[in-house]
Parts: sequence; structure tokens; C-alpha cells
Amino acid sequence: MSCFITGYGSALPERVVTNAEIASVLGVTGDWIEANSGIRERRWVDADQATSDLAVAAVRDALSDSGTRAEDVDYLIACTLSPDYQIPGLAPIVQHKLEGCRFIPAVDLRAGCAAILYSLQLARSLIESRAASTIVCFGAEAQSKGLDLHPRSADLSMLFGDGAGAVVVSGEPKLTDKAREYLLRIDDILIETDGSFAEDLIVRAPGTANGARWLDESNLDLRMHFGSMQGRNVILQAVRKLSDAADRILARNGLSSDQVDLVIPHQANANLIATLARKLCIAPNRIVMNVDRLGNTSGASAFLALSQAHRDGKIRPGSRLLILAFGAGFTWGAALARAC
Amino acid sequence: MLTEGVMAFLDQAAKDARIELPDRNSSLFLSGVLDSFTLVDFVTLLESECNVKIDDADLRPENFDTIAKVEEFIRRA
Repeated sequence: MSCFITGYGSALPERVVTNAEIASVLGVTGDWIEANSGIRERRWVDADQATSDLAVAAVRDALSDSGTRAEDVDYLIACTLSPDYQIPGLAPIVQHKLEGCRFIPAVDLRAGCAAILYSLQLARSLIESRAASTIVCFGAEAQSKGLDLHPRSADLSMLFGDGAGAVVVSGEPKLTDKAREYLLRIDDILIETDGSFAEDLIVRAPGTANGARWLDESNLDLRMHFGSMQGRNVILQAVRKLSDAADRILARNGLSSDQVDLVIPHQANANLIATLARKLCIAPNRIVMNVDRLGNTSGASAFLALSQAHRDGKIRPGSRLLILAFGAGFTWGAALARAC
Repeated sequence: MLTEGVMAFLDQAAKDARIELPDRNSSLFLSGVLDSFTLVDFVTLLESECNVKIDDADLRPENFDTIAKVEEFIRRA
């Protein structure tokens, strides 16, 4: 049974934060941030905005694009590293805020920045098993609220932006879908995990591995509630694992990289994406980028890039897409899709 | 000893960074010869020049921090 993306949505906070605005608090220059990440600006939420606000706006946008009513959605899959609360997950909050949405299953996936691939594989499996027929997968982040805005964390805090993206995934295209120029068929997904690298990209608190309490003052004193990253190792492993995943998914589908029309990568860092593209022999004009304007939006980034490619008319009938994502865990993978 | 091709890569990386290539026991990272992204290319070159396949578990930046460490790593690979 085939599985299609039938709608795309996105939502961004209004507040634009330039490199110049954060450079001084991070003890670096705006040029240094751009040279090391390719990022010029990012969006950050205001104090009264939560991740779910962005998520609901993106989901509504995707449903509108697809011509699907909230009443007709029968599964919600959320991808986030910055939920509204520790408990409950983001997806139930979105289910509640989405007017008309029934008491459907709504679940969070904590697969880091690769969660889009995990969500698409879950959606595809649910459709193939007939457990659901219309699913919304979405990524939403407000990472700015958890950043350590201090020179000791410049290499990490310079990266992150807030935003949300969503897609509607369906098994059988509806009549309204057939009026569209194309549907994006998900052809294959390859996802993997190597937990031996868990500590290379981590937020330790709150967590039950921290002693008697999952969060206490000593955790805060040690700044364990902020992220920490072994940057060189993340980049080394990301390029290796993503190029390997791309090679394997292309090979098992009888394809080569020159048959890929568009690459939708997780927007971690422009330099990382350029290095990866060089290894895969993929020209820059075939890569969808938003990291320069939006920063690294974590679990939302590939959703936002996919939505941007659709909105900009880059996906044409017949286009073959390669989605690549890598995140904490480490989790990573690749997906192939075809516009038809 | 590292191959001429590997040493040529490091010489060029040092030139690009406008510094002298450090001695065999000094850090290639702290000196500025290698950064996160040139390290990716360096590892790729090492694999092809030295005809070795570096396992992901051994792909740790600390194994490539000095010329001496790189030599030792390749000897063990």
C-alpha cells in the first residue's frame, strides 16, 4: 500500500534574532557565528509563546494545504526536544488545541533531530496496517528557552532557532488531493541508532540518572539542564553516518545520487551540509537550505525545509527527494520520496 | 610515517590557516591546522591513502589530534 504526503505546513515566531544580537553575550562576533555555521539569523519565540503554539499553527497550515479537516485526522505524531512540559507530551496538548480534533492517538517521538524519519516510518506502518488513514506528523521546537547564553556555550547556543513544520500523510489520496499538481509518495525509509554516542549530544537534567532527584540545585549549579555537545565528534559521525545511509538507501532502490532532484537535510549547520553534499557528489542547487535564516530548528528543521521546498515550487511532478537527518542518540537515517 | 599524500594535506591545511605545521606531538586542532570540517576530509583521505577502513567506534577526534597519534592509529588499524 502506498503512502503519500498530501499537505505541508509551517509556523515561525515573528521575532528575528540576528548574529549581532547574540554575539556579545556569547563572547564571539557575528562573523564568527556565520563562518562556523552559515547562520545569519534565527527566529525565537516570545516569553508567552510555547512550542505547542507553533505546532498548532503548523498543523493547521498543513491541514489547510491538504484540504483535510481536523475532524478527519486519526493520528498525531509529534517530534520535539523542547515540549511545553516534561509531562505530558506535546502531542496531547496539540490535540486539545486543534479545534475539531477527535480523541485520537497523539504521541511524541524523542528521536532528536532525526525524528522526522522516525515519524514518517511510523506513519507509513500505521497506514499499511490500516490502524490509521490520515496522520499528521509535525516537528516543533522552542529551543531558545533552554539555551545557555554564555561564552562557555557559544558553539552550541549560536545554532538554535525556533519553529514548526508539519505534513499530512495519507494512504489513499482523496478527490481533493487529485486536484493537486502532485502527491509525494514515500518510497523507502532507513533509520538507525547508536546509543554509544548518547553523551556526545545531551541535556542531562531533569533525568533519573542524576542521583536521588531528577532535578535539584546541584544539577542547576553544574548547568546540567543546558545542552552539551562534543562538536567535532558530532560532525565527524554525522557526515559518516549520513553519507553511508544515503549510499545504502540509494543502492537498495537501484539509484545513484545524480538521480536525486532535491535533498532535504536536517539543517544542523551549513558547513556540515556542504561537506555532506561534497561527499555525496550532490550540487548545492539541489539542496534545500534554510539554516542561514532559521538556524538549527532541531526536530522541526527537515519539516520546515520540506514545507519550504513545496511552497517555493521546487518539488515538481516526477521529482525524487532524499531526506537526510541526524540527531542526539545518535539517531540518523534517510528517506526517499517521489512526486507523482 | 604518514604517506606523502597525507602530509601534503596537512601542509596545505596549515598554509590555508596561515600557520606552520606543528611538530608531531602538538595538537593539530589547537594549532588550527584541523577543524571539525577539515577533519572529515582528513579522515576520508587517510582511509584511501593508507588503505584502511576506520570503524565508526574508532572515529573519535582524539585519535587524530597529533601527527604521532595519527601514525599510531594507522599502525593499529
